[in-house]
Amino acid sequence: MKKTIGQWFLSGPFLFAAVLLCWAMWAGQVDLFGAKKTVYETYSPYHHIRVIDQNGFRILSFNGSLESQVSINNPLTGHFEYIEYFHMPWLWNAEIRNVLVMGLGGGSVQRLFQHYHKEVAIETVELDPKVIEVAKTYFDISNNESHKITKSDGRLFLRRTGKKYDLVLMDAYSSNRYGSFIPYHLVTQEFFKIVKEHLSENGVVAYNVIGTLKGSRAGILGAVYKTMKSVFPQVYLFPATKLQNVVMVATMNPDNYDSERVRQAASRLMRQKKSNLPGFQTRLQSFMNTPPPAAERSLILIDDFSPVDGLLRSASFKQPRKR
Amino acid sequence: MVVFLGGFSIMVLEIIGARYLIKDFGSAFYVWISQIGVILIALSLGYYFGGALADRFRSLQILAGLISVAGIFIMAIPHFANRLIEKVVLRHPIDQEIPMIWQKLDPVIGSGLVFFFPCLVLAMIGPCMIRVLSKQLEHVGRISGQTYAFSTFGSIVGVFLSGFVFLDHLRISNIFRLTGLITLLSAGLCLAIARRKVSS
Repeated sequence: MKKTIGQWFLSGPFLFAAVLLCWAMWAGQVDLFGAKKTVYETYSPYHHIRVIDQNGFRILSFNGSLESQVSINNPLTGHFEYIEYFHMPWLWNAEIRNVLVMGLGGGSVQRLFQHYHKEVAIETVELDPKVIEVAKTYFDISNNESHKITKSDGRLFLRRTGKKYDLVLMDAYSSNRYGSFIPYHLVTQEFFKIVKEHLSENGVVAYNVIGTLKGSRAGILGAVYKTMKSVFPQVYLFPATKLQNVVMVATMNPDNYDSERVRQAASRLMRQKKSNLPGFQTRLQSFMNTPPPAAERSLILIDDFSPVDGLLRSASFKQPRKR
Repeated sequence: MVVFLGGFSIMVLEIIGARYLIKDFGSAFYVWISQIGVILIALSLGYYFGGALADRFRSLQILAGLISVAGIFIMAIPHFANRLIEKVVLRHPIDQEIPMIWQKLDPVIGSGLVFFFPCLVLAMIGPCMIRVLSKQLEHVGRISGQTYAFSTFGSIVGVFLSGFVFLDHLRISNIFRLTGLITLLSAGLCLAIARRKVSS
């Protein structure tokens, strides 16, 4: 007996194959819409770490969300936009030599610095030993003389080192399907005071904040701005154009730069060949020397009260009454 | 009610305590392990000695005294713990990596110094209450069941309230003060129960 098309669709083997395909796509084993391959997968005490190759990119994923990406053919490209704002501190200090980076991830920052700023010595502090392993094996990051990796909590590391740095970069986030998480002890006034103690005279801090100038992610941005402003003489913003990142740059230099002065500093760097990053000029456009709108009604985060989990999920937060 | 408050305070101390320790020992996994481990040690010893205490004295006055001391201790945490923990962290030579064993055990020491004592005392409430409330052997099953249930229910409320509400709206130091007050309140309730037993 000949089957009609309807009967054929409902037949056992077809249904079985369809269910299997759906399951495989759901489980991430098969991706029909882009060549996606899981290269490595592991669990650490902190994350479910996956290394994925997709559409010519090598991707580092923590708990199912993107942490870092890089082009496989040209590792100097394909990184996230915010990584490039980490080159902005040279505008305020052209003589940066010692750099401390909190958070390793896929090592995009370190890779670009080692290529475009060969003169710097980088130290990276990363909490998760598995992340260090993965970065070494799959992201070509090495632990050598110009780049030293330490497994530690960032704040603990700073408290216990006598060294001073010209530049401190903060990129210690984690995220999952429910959103992003900031370690609460790395955004408080007490923390920034520790950072300040370890900055050289003309030192600069750059902090990657997952947030937006307006809307639902404005609260955390305002709070971090206000907290940093309570410790450092000047704080500037570089909001990313495509992603929900804002890089905050705090300087020990007390002068308030306007966009004209930033342009002058940039052309001086260009002349002296001290900023070789392609697109440096474009990134300059994002410069802001005004506080984010939410800063006015934000609270200063302190160790005693740092509700970052609540802040990351709301537009603003009331300052609790002082005791 | 007393066992409910006891269970509540224990879990508030556990959750807020872990948060408190993170700023000094880092947001390492070990902080959570230490906090949970130390509290469990305190609980098991508290149950053990609480039971012995209950049989030996049969009155709740000594328990009430111990709980008040614990309450004052908890209220004082924001005033002394920082300096204590600083000593633990900064005893290692600067600019040198802390040996692995101390990376793991330092938070245990820190947690032990601050949170062991109050949780030990709070754990004594359960067995003492069972002893006082059990007049006849037939009812011991039911009474101990109720004691466990109310204590654990208090702990459940403590966990969710501290994680979901307190951390977003209260300063950590004020949460400790509040927990201390609640502990003092349960000491008062203990005394009230003791009075009523005497008069009846």
